[in-house]
Amino acid sequence: MADQQKLSSRHLLGIKDLNRNDIELIFETAANFKAVLNRPIKKVPSLRDVTIANIFFENSTRTRLSFELAQKRLSADTINFAAASSSVSKGETLIDTVNNILAMKVDMVVMRHPYAGAGIFLSRHIKAQIVNAGDGAHEHPTQALLDAFSIREKYGEVIGKKVVIVGDILHSRVALSNILCLKQLGAEVMVCGPTTLIPKFISSLGVKVEHNLIKALNWCDVANMLRIQLERQDIKYFPSLREYTMLYGLNKQILDSLDKEITVMHPGPINRGVEITSDVADSKQSIILDQVENGVAVRMAVLYLLAGQI
Amino acid sequence: MDLLFKSVTIIDPNSVYHKQVTDVLVEDGKIVRIAADIQADAETIAAKGCYLSPGFFDLNCNFGDLGLETKEDMQSGTRAASAGGFTGVALMPNMQPPVHSKSEVQYLLNQSRGNLVSVYPLGAISYKTQGKDLAELYDMHTSGALAFTDGNLPVQDAGLMERALLYAQNFEGLVFSYPEDLSIAGKAKVHEGMVSTLLGMKGIPALAEELMISRDLYLAEYTNSRLHFTTVSTAQAVEQIRKAKAKGLKVTCDVAVHHLVLTDDALMGFDSLYKVKPPLRTQEDVNALLQGLRDGTIDAIVSQHTPHEVEFKEVEFEVAEFGMIGLQTAFSLAVKAGLSLELIVEKMAVNPRKIIGIKEASIAEGEMANLVLLNPNTNWNYSRQNNLSKSYNSPFIGQEMTGKVLLTINNNQIYKSDIHD
Repeated sequence: MADQQKLSSRHLLGIKDLNRNDIELIFETAANFKAVLNRPIKKVPSLRDVTIANIFFENSTRTRLSFELAQKRLSADTINFAAASSSVSKGETLIDTVNNILAMKVDMVVMRHPYAGAGIFLSRHIKAQIVNAGDGAHEHPTQALLDAFSIREKYGEVIGKKVVIVGDILHSRVALSNILCLKQLGAEVMVCGPTTLIPKFISSLGVKVEHNLIKALNWCDVANMLRIQLERQDIKYFPSLREYTMLYGLNKQILDSLDKEITVMHPGPINRGVEITSDVADSKQSIILDQVENGVAVRMAVLYLLAGQI
Repeated sequence: MDLLFKSVTIIDPNSVYHKQVTDVLVEDGKIVRIAADIQADAETIAAKGCYLSPGFFDLNCNFGDLGLETKEDMQSGTRAASAGGFTGVALMPNMQPPVHSKSEVQYLLNQSRGNLVSVYPLGAISYKTQGKDLAELYDMHTSGALAFTDGNLPVQDAGLMERALLYAQNFEGLVFSYPEDLSIAGKAKVHEGMVSTLLGMKGIPALAEELMISRDLYLAEYTNSRLHFTTVSTAQAVEQIRKAKAKGLKVTCDVAVHHLVLTDDALMGFDSLYKVKPPLRTQEDVNALLQGLRDGTIDAIVSQHTPHEVEFKEVEFEVAEFGMIGLQTAFSLAVKAGLSLELIVEKMAVNPRKIIGIKEASIAEGEMANLVLLNPNTNWNYSRQNNLSKSYNSPFIGQEMTGKVLLTINNNQIYKSDIHD
């Protein structure tokens, strides 16, 4: 990986910060790291002496593991901090919490936070570089990058591909980042879900809106099935999970009835039997586990490229 | 305190000297002479190119002097007001405890006695602003509360609003409506639109305001009451009130001055200094608000001065408090919005007093000097140093502003801006 090019942004706070060249650079770098990950010796010394804090104000298993593994493969030193939630009423402020960690000489922060814009807010107050690992229903840029990378891997390119994102768009950071990333790369994007879970102005982002799952699936090449996140719904947006599944659940029967063989994605963790059935998740059309594998490579690429700017 | 304004242009639609260039002599807090070429033994103010208007009056202002003094106390608040050209402010009741009985009203009046700025406490509509039962409106009214509102807690119960409108008629009290349907607004913090979608935040639909305006217009018509809407912010809201006025309803309304110059585009960086309620809307709404001011649908401009300590603003957008301070920048922002000086004076000095029912300040010989000296073309830098509020939650701090308040006089006291710059 000679001649390292640079990302146009110091942080990765959202796909909004990236231009097309940035995304291509991340993909190229991730492809190289993926090759490394398949060698007997998976570790590279690229981030030796770089210290990264994984600060998670919201529960996460897979994203945190994926980041941590990416950091270890790059030989970075890592520390983990998990707190249930941050708010003024609960004592220490976000800035104080993070500055306390940074005082221990940390170079980079990977942060997940329940509030939209928390990383952007923090970036105005601290010196360290920040990677957003999910902020409220705003962005989850590394998820979008790994999703697009997986589509690219499957089809050779993303441009012109038709991708439908199905589910709770209103509460989903994955949806917003995916829309922005896929549009940057020239894909056509549609969102599909119950009217109560689709933001009224979503079409202003240049996406199609469809409320009928079968129509959406017949249109697409790739279906990204989002997890229903009841924990983020302060009020009921649909009567029951059962009814949600009746309208928007993807099962093998529907999959087999389509005109063409579509690719099924899911950002995990899957609610088996809710948004997709087990036989769909485990079918050969599903690339769910490839997404997980690519996640490590993409996160390695992001950390590596940002560390070049320390 | 004797002052002689030389060659000042008077802007006061109620004055026979409106738009005339003349000299004005103030002695012991009274306007004693208005004529050309006055000679007097008084401090002379060379006011050529400057404008003398009745002092501004703010119908929607928040201090903290009752339990929230670290945000703003009476002294800091009134100093900020006088620096902004305001000689009268109506205080929202959202303090601790809320202004919901005679004792709080009297406390505020006592606390502000002898001040340059006359303070008019607004009383709560409901007991403890809980939105359930009527507060003692009459008792507060006889103590000095001219109008009633639950402030930033919009009355959700239509029956309560109806009773408030009816009951206030017994003593010609005025009811303010801050129109927001909370079941539609939910816990959202920003305007619903393209920006909220890009921010991944739920939006407060314009509908939340407009539904409440229709409800209250129905109630005002049914009860044959006067009603004042404060801080209307959407294009459709302006249209609803325009139609109601055409129909003959006794309805008035005001707009917060920051809604004339800012849109929700300002939120793209998640800067909580721009987090206000009603939320910043779109350019289309701003245009409709400006049109509403020009055609008379919107009667007044308010500062909606809302001070908060840094601990409540320099936090994640989601948990930051709503509101920005605005007394010192209200005039400059009105200028920035492109409004003529005449219109600004009408909306900030003349109409607010009419609406709340106090004697209009007027520039005439024998009147008390309740005046503000303005230059709409003077630039100044708004900074932490010349900010007089205890709080500094304004996105305009650090910016160059155009349109300056040079001097404010009321109650035989004077504020001069150059002292503080």
